[in-house]
Amino acid sequence: MKIKKFAAGLAIAGLALGVGVSVPATATAATPVTITIWTFGDVIEPNLIKQYKLIHPEVTLSIKKSDLDPLNGTNMITACTSKQGPDIAAVEVSYAGYWRSYPKCFTDLRTMKTSDANVNADKGTDKNGNPVDVTYIDSTGKKLTVGTVAANLSATSIKPNYLPWRWEQGVGYDDSVIGIPTDVGGLEVAFRTDLMVKAGLVTAAQVKNGTARDVLSKKWPTWSKFIEVGKQYMAKLSAADKKAGKGFIDNVGTIYAAVLNQGTEKYYRNNGTDQGQLIYKTNKNIKTAWDTTLNAHKAAIGTRIGQFSSDWNIGMNKGTFATMLAPAWMMDYIKQQAPDTKGKWDIASLPGGGGNQGGTQLTIPSYAKNKQAAWDFIAWYLAPEQQLQVFRTYGLFPSTKSIYGDSSVKDFKDPFFNNAPVGKIYSTGITKLKPIFEGKLQRGIDQAFGAGLGRVVSGKKNEKTKKPWTSAESWAQSIADIDKLTR
Amino acid sequence: MSSTAVNDSPLIDKKGGRPKTSPSPWKPKKNKKEREDFPGLRSLNGKWGYLFVAPFIVMFIIFGMFPVLYSTVIAFYEFDPLAGAGGLSLEGQTFVGFENFIYLLQDDRLYTAIGNTFDIWFWSTFPQMVISIGLAAVLRNRFLKAKTFWRTILLVPNITSVLAVAIVFGQLFGREFGIINWVLGLFGVDNIDFVEDPLASHIAIATMITWRWAGYNALIFLASMLAIPDELYESASLDGASAWQQFRYVTLPGLRNTITFTLIVGTIGGLQVFAEPLTLAGTTDGGSTHQLLTLTMFLYDSAFGASSKWGYGAAVGIIITIIVLIVSLVNFLVTRKLASGEAK
Repeated sequence: MKIKKFAAGLAIAGLALGVGVSVPATATAATPVTITIWTFGDVIEPNLIKQYKLIHPEVTLSIKKSDLDPLNGTNMITACTSKQGPDIAAVEVSYAGYWRSYPKCFTDLRTMKTSDANVNADKGTDKNGNPVDVTYIDSTGKKLTVGTVAANLSATSIKPNYLPWRWEQGVGYDDSVIGIPTDVGGLEVAFRTDLMVKAGLVTAAQVKNGTARDVLSKKWPTWSKFIEVGKQYMAKLSAADKKAGKGFIDNVGTIYAAVLNQGTEKYYRNNGTDQGQLIYKTNKNIKTAWDTTLNAHKAAIGTRIGQFSSDWNIGMNKGTFATMLAPAWMMDYIKQQAPDTKGKWDIASLPGGGGNQGGTQLTIPSYAKNKQAAWDFIAWYLAPEQQLQVFRTYGLFPSTKSIYGDSSVKDFKDPFFNNAPVGKIYSTGITKLKPIFEGKLQRGIDQAFGAGLGRVVSGKKNEKTKKPWTSAESWAQSIADIDKLTR
Repeated sequence: MSSTAVNDSPLIDKKGGRPKTSPSPWKPKKNKKEREDFPGLRSLNGKWGYLFVAPFIVMFIIFGMFPVLYSTVIAFYEFDPLAGAGGLSLEGQTFVGFENFIYLLQDDRLYTAIGNTFDIWFWSTFPQMVISIGLAAVLRNRFLKAKTFWRTILLVPNITSVLAVAIVFGQLFGREFGIINWVLGLFGVDNIDFVEDPLASHIAIATMITWRWAGYNALIFLASMLAIPDELYESASLDGASAWQQFRYVTLPGLRNTITFTLIVGTIGGLQVFAEPLTLAGTTDGGSTHQLLTLTMFLYDSAFGASSKWGYGAAVGIIITIIVLIVSLVNFLVTRKLASGEAK
């Protein structure tokens, strides 16, 4: 209902503008413009690009994809220092803390206003008044219409559509808005129903009638309970399975970030200064996340497979692990990597309530040449209707909370995941999260604690003591490494 | 080409004579008479020479010398590329004197990186040398069919993208489902973690390097072997030398200079190992105990990793330069000793 009202509102606004401003289509027609976009992975979906070209024949989108690290690291640094580069750059949230420290590299999106270039789409015509097909077919085969965006929208006017904590990730230290959120990587637990039945944690009947996920969610309201369930699972594994390296969860290291993100502070405290105050030595939440991870390691519930390794992709197919912490975008990854496991997966809720991993902002660098065209594109591409389309076709979860109540999100069931109502599950978790102040060296500190956990979990020998790393030794080493990083 | 253009050519006698055959401008001193016949050659040695080397020199100054000088300067700054006025300006950057270097010498990552680099170098150089000479000895066989085919195929690994190699080998070395651990498992060996275990990870990297370069070096050895006169082998076999003795006492001494050459080139390459460990470790810091951190990765991680401390990265670069100088000196001494050994 909400979405319909919203769309109707837009349509009225669009019509009103169309009449009020009454710019003749031919008069504004065709100053060709090329928007260059630097992006990675699947941030920019090709189908939506096609749609945008239909309603904007004058726009050419030149998309350059690279790997995330060079893109958000060296490429963007070089671009900002040399003051030339793309019109739009995608910034991943692990880099958000870094780039928020340099608002001068970005256009303050509060100062931008959408032009009336988008208003004709809802009439089914392009800018020149020619009829175009602005419909698309979603993953369930339903035919839907591409959304439109009203004129005169600034970042301030579209802000209420988005999750507040997610919006903050695109706000610079000087309160300028440097990026608009794309999808949100809400974190839940993906589990293999067949393996859970085998371990006796749920029954086949519960899997069939769709209550298995609730049964499991109730079994692990907290992380310590989650580890308990893991132990029960491991107890049911045969000796051969254990020798083959099978486990309850793919990698216990992933628990760390999940626990940490459930708090309100990570490594920085907002003390009103640009840089924030470093609290990695004192924030008890970090130690809690660390200890929880190592408790899971001690309980031996994890495999030794690293995420995104070739082993991991194979393990996903072979049922080497029964659970994994899955951000919403991971659903699409599982579908691609393990298509034969269709129907065997399901989604339960994350212990401790809600989590996030990943997500991206679209930014307009301060040196962009076509800022107006770039803003028109971003405002359209990240509008609730387009995010809904991306969710319905690719499973990426919208960061626009205004559409969570919409039936196409709320009632969306995914057959790959045993018909789990993924829309409802994911939207419940992410609305519980609070904004976290991200600092410049967030990523490096994350890496150092991750390496610290890796030292203990891999059972490596400490060269100084000639014995495996203990938790305390490794913690001290991580703190020392971070001291180096932040000096 | 028009006739005027031909006449403008410095290689042509301006008096209208046709050019002498084989003017040999590269060795003008060889034949004094010939040089006098070519008045244009004098200028060829002068300003024309500069023109010919200009493309390289200009490129070198822009992409070689200038970055070296500039990074030497910023090694004395706490250089944040985005903090200052931007571009090449030093405005807004903090001058810290030798602080980066003092800190660097106390940074245990530096010593880890040096150790790793030389360990990987050791494991990639010596087995590779044996394999290359062995391959060359096989190709030297005059009864071998389809010689060109085999020689060509040896170069295929070398022209394969480093990244592709690293990704494929990363799969072969997988801890749980990698084919190498599977084969080892058949012999009752427990799964080896080729990423986390320091020695195993170095050997994994060395394998990638060996795979890429063994064929290339084999061709160099082959060329050198073909230069050894057949008479030596004939007289050796007349003296009753076995195939192994021929290899040991005829082929190997003849390869001495080539071995030195491949060692030097291998050392230079060994100090630059980057893409393979980066891909295998998956992070720029070289893994949880920096077991895969090489010197160049350390430089990259300092400058372009999570912290973006360009000044510190530049200081690492200068330390690498010093290490390269030391290694070159050792190389030079060893080479000289080998050369004098040959003279005896």
